[in-house]
Amino acid sequence: MPRPLSGFLAVLAAGGWLAAAWYLWQTSVPTGLDLPDLEPSRFFSRATLEEADDYGLVLDVLAVGAAAALVAVLAVYAAKGAAFARESAAGRIGTGMLLGMLGLGLVWLFQIGFGVAQLWWQRRHGLSRQGYVEWLLGDWWALGAEFLFVCLALVIVMGLAGPLGDRWWLAAAPAFVGLTLLFAFLLPYLLAEATARPDPQLAADARRVAATQGVEKVPLRVQEVSGHTSLPNAYAAGLGPSRKVVLWDTLLDDRFSDEEVLVVVAHEYGHHAQQHIWKLAGWFALFAFPGTAIVALATRRRGGMRRPEAVPLGLFLVVVLQLLAQPVSNEFSRRLEAEADWRALEATRDPEAAAGLFEEFTRLALEDPEPPGWAYFFQATHPSVMERIAMAEAWRARREGRSRAG
Amino acid sequence: MEPEQHPIRLVVADDLRRSRLTVLFRLLLSLPHLVWLWLWTLVVLLAAVVAWIAALFAGRLPDPFHRFLSAYVRYGTHVAAYLSLAANPFPGFVGRPGSFPVDLEVAEPERQNRWSIFFRPILGIPALLLAAAFSGGNGGGGGGGAIGTSAFLGWFASLVRGRMPGGLRGLLAYSIRYVAQTYGYLLLLTSRYPDAHPAAPVLERPLDHPIRLEAREDLRRSRLTVLFRLLLYLPHLVWLLLWGIAAFLAAIANWFAALVRGRPAPPLHRFLAAYVRYLTHTSAFVYLVANPFPGFTGRPGTYPVELLIAEPERQNRWVTGFRLLLALPAILLLSALNAAFGISAALAWFHSLVLGRTRPGLLGLGAYSLRYAGQVYAYLLLLTVRYPHSAPPA
Ligand SMILES: [Zn+2]
Repeated sequence: MPRPLSGFLAVLAAGGWLAAAWYLWQTSVPTGLDLPDLEPSRFFSRATLEEADDYGLVLDVLAVGAAAALVAVLAVYAAKGAAFARESAAGRIGTGMLLGMLGLGLVWLFQIGFGVAQLWWQRRHGLSRQGYVEWLLGDWWALGAEFLFVCLALVIVMGLAGPLGDRWWLAAAPAFVGLTLLFAFLLPYLLAEATARPDPQLAADARRVAATQGVEKVPLRVQEVSGHTSLPNAYAAGLGPSRKVVLWDTLLDDRFSDEEVLVVVAHEYGHHAQQHIWKLAGWFALFAFPGTAIVALATRRRGGMRRPEAVPLGLFLVVVLQLLAQPVSNEFSRRLEAEADWRALEATRDPEAAAGLFEEFTRLALEDPEPPGWAYFFQATHPSVMERIAMAEAWRARREGRSRAG
Repeated sequence: MEPEQHPIRLVVADDLRRSRLTVLFRLLLSLPHLVWLWLWTLVVLLAAVVAWIAALFAGRLPDPFHRFLSAYVRYGTHVAAYLSLAANPFPGFVGRPGSFPVDLEVAEPERQNRWSIFFRPILGIPALLLAAAFSGGNGGGGGGGAIGTSAFLGWFASLVRGRMPGGLRGLLAYSIRYVAQTYGYLLLLTSRYPDAHPAAPVLERPLDHPIRLEAREDLRRSRLTVLFRLLLYLPHLVWLLLWGIAAFLAAIANWFAALVRGRPAPPLHRFLAAYVRYLTHTSAFVYLVANPFPGFTGRPGTYPVELLIAEPERQNRWVTGFRLLLALPAILLLSALNAAFGISAALAWFHSLVLGRTRPGLLGLGAYSLRYAGQVYAYLLLLTVRYPHSAPPA
């Protein structure tokens, strides 16, 4: 390619990337919304604040430890892992798969301790009901799912790197985006076994809330998890016709009022109404292209990703890039969550219930209302409890302001 | 593969001829022996405790105990061989050496390590598990185990033909030998661990079967891949299932082709042969018969455990037409052998994880099971018209 043309293409790609990022960054939360600065002590007792603080700190430290173990193990593996190729009788791609799986296996081994400690801490606070053996077995099979996933990814990368050489990423990135969308679409069907219909009253309320957001066709389901955990949670899943809103049954055990549950429901419908799963896939696409390009470039001195010896290094790079992108991806996620909160306030018009719900997250799930800055920066995918309460207050203030003006 | 002589050896001088009448009533005829064996066992249980204490003091099993307990194990072997149709004549009741066509030779008592004597009841547990899988006792997954299933199939064959199939007798001798060695080990007749290696006894050269297995005698196992072996097998499992769908359709097409042309279609033969080879590679991997991660294509010559499959041959159309039905006994036997195989793989897993290598006996048993499995699948998929041969390799 002539030099001016490739330069022009690069500028075009960078411009397109920035425009797409800017587009995805926008939300329907009113700009200039004034979030009041609220004191946690106004909402929580000192004992609650201290317990949430302790609880969150230990989990944050464990998460940092696990991430450090991840990077350290994979760094060593990137240097030495290629030696395991002698344990393979398979061809180029098969050997690459073995090396990819062994890397994840080693990570698993070195992270067991952190997992056990985390479970112990959760059990101590009554937030997990899982036994250690049960957890270990579940984790073992989850590792099996990871193995299958890394095999699929390596089939794509190494399969493309054969004919395409170092340009494999141009085809692999769209393939990964396509797979992400496919999984997002299929997920509700995979979970269908584990979910049931809600009771008629809740279903009717949910339909009403969904209708105000224009997504009344999306059904609500309840998933039974109370055997393992007491943590309340809910999620929006699926694309187009497969879309569902799923509540954990831990939300429906009378610890939350009907109005509070409805805020959760409205929040999840908000995710669907604002096409958040598409936006997340778009965000993934923004990182998939440069990310795979960096892996392709950086593995060249190992012969490129067509060689199995490059797989340990590739694995290390993917994990490091993911960690580096985490703070900005977290901020992106927090923006989407704030938007869903805003949609929920608009749909339920019940800021007291919203604030009450968020307060329960601290009382029942020990969420730190104001986590330390570093933990928030590296790990928080949702706004903090204080930020969420503040948004409910801001919504109320806006309504009062408007009714006074009108 | 020539392992050194085990102190407890099975000597087979059986000519496969069976008297139909005694076959018909074999179970009832065995009743007096079973009652007598049971009484003898009660005495042996007491004697074994005394022998154990005596051996702990003496550092060897005292001669009278050695004679008595060997006679017991030998007698049990005679009875098992008679009941399972591994031999024809009615045995005597005292376990006299040299008195029966399937006989046990037990070496003279030797010095034994006292620690090994002390922990013998615990050390014997893995062997006992495998022995149970062979004899179909507790833990034998395949219903009657290798012995029970072979006896069951052999009963029909002997009744009809007046002859025991050599393959079944071979498998019986192999299994009975292992059980006898296990009891010999537990009862302190020897300090040598039971040997699952099928190489001895050499009964008769197995026929030159069109489906053969070559296993490289490589005992090294990579601990890390052993630890994650089951999960590492998952991508292969997915691929086996996907390929299996295509192989199933190809097998049906091959069946019609063989019915019409009298021989399988070469492209289908190649496709199905690759599938059975791939199945062998991946089974060898997950059951720890071989160390390296196998490839996904079943290409010949790529794996230390290799199934050699002959070119397509003419096949009798009747045998083709009723192939599924004809294969049933072999499938039954395979599932019995697989019960022992599964236990041996579990033992190999622990052994390899700790020591970084597997045992020759476990490797031999695995290769033997894989060869038989390969022959059964090849027979089912019309890769050969020759019936699977169950005798252990010479
Ligand atoms: Zn949300």
